[in-house]
Amino acid sequence: MDPPLINETSFSAANPSSYTLAEIWPFPPPPPPPTRSGLRMDNLADPDGSLEESTLTDQSSGNGIRIRKTRDFSSEKDDSTKIVSTTTSANDLNDSNGKRRKITGSRSVNDDSRAETEASSAANNKSAEQSSKASEPPKQDYIHVRARRGQATDSHSLAERARREKISERMNMLQDLVPGCNKVIGKALVLDEIINYIQSLQCQVELLSMKLEAVNSRMNTSTTIEGLHPKDLGAQPFVATGMIFSPQPTREYVQGSQSEWLHMQVGGSFERAL
Amino acid sequence: MASKHTIATRHAQGIRARFASRFLRSLLRLRRSSNRFGGSQSNDEGIGKRIRTDRIKIAAYAAMARAVGPRRTWSRALLFKLRNRARIHGVSRKRCLVSEKKRITRNKVVATSSEPSRADTLRKLVPGGDSMDTCVLLEETAHYIKCLATQVTVMQSIADRLLL
Repeated sequence: MDPPLINETSFSAANPSSYTLAEIWPFPPPPPPPTRSGLRMDNLADPDGSLEESTLTDQSSGNGIRIRKTRDFSSEKDDSTKIVSTTTSANDLNDSNGKRRKITGSRSVNDDSRAETEASSAANNKSAEQSSKASEPPKQDYIHVRARRGQATDSHSLAERARREKISERMNMLQDLVPGCNKVIGKALVLDEIINYIQSLQCQVELLSMKLEAVNSRMNTSTTIEGLHPKDLGAQPFVATGMIFSPQPTREYVQGSQSEWLHMQVGGSFERAL
Repeated sequence: MASKHTIATRHAQGIRARFASRFLRSLLRLRRSSNRFGGSQSNDEGIGKRIRTDRIKIAAYAAMARAVGPRRTWSRALLFKLRNRARIHGVSRKRCLVSEKKRITRNKVVATSSEPSRADTLRKLVPGGDSMDTCVLLEETAHYIKCLATQVTVMQSIADRLLL
């Protein structure tokens, strides 16, 4: 799903640089006036008509040969002056435009490695714009993974990978939190375990509120104890937080029926408290 | 690492103490109010018991959420829900149902695309999980589990103390 889209975007991101290389260079005459003068000197030095005639004959005979020629020129990249000369020699600007587009397309198709490097540099620049220093280690990782996969070359997949790492890290944290979850392998089973644990905890809250309701209503009947209790309750949390609330999560959340569990818990806590 | 652990445990202890004091206060308040209205409501014992149980449960959840404070998404969502429940409480129940239905359908649409309903189940369990990313959901779930375990232990010990 993602990689083709990403590749397209990367090519479109990579293409402007090639356009700047290929199109902007030949078109405006002002940038290379000295080279043009040099060319004219060269043209003047060389037999002028022969060069123009050769190129013109190439145009008239077959476009493919000329495109190959110009491709070679563009691949050599030092012969931009010659390209300029061809533009000056070629009469039809539209034709040259189309050819140059073809040339840029062929370049982008042919030099895949160059385009990829450009895309990676563009992606790196993007990430560098967002966060300059944080992009360094992901870049290494991404290069490593790209060598293996071939397609995941973009900031999108980078972000996706970071997200997955985050999720797995949090899953590990949750595995540490939920008792008996360390032996379970597989994200789905871990999630099941977590869901079970939360449900059991909520059930426990429900049961404990029932129990507390019973205790509370029993306290209601004997109103004489009512006056005694606030002190007790006020003193309780500080004592209890120190002593009884030792961090042992209740382990018996799965097995047994819940009334049985309640009795077990009550008995155990009685023993603990006494 | 060790310092972080001690900080975390101290933090949890702070939450525990805050939750215990809040919950005990609300229990006392509930007891007084039921004392005041106990004679009139005792005509149907089962319904009264049920209502009182629900109140205690809600008080426990609210105390937990207040003890955590508005830093966490789940506590915020829980507080919002409880407040709205106290405010609305049967007046515009229809609208609530409609919105819930909408939410459920939207979640189903989202869930059919990627994950087969496990994260969705988790989303339903954790308060405020409807609008969470998976990363955030897992983080909030971790904190929520911690707080629920604390809540259970505190309620357990309070019940034991009251039974004694």
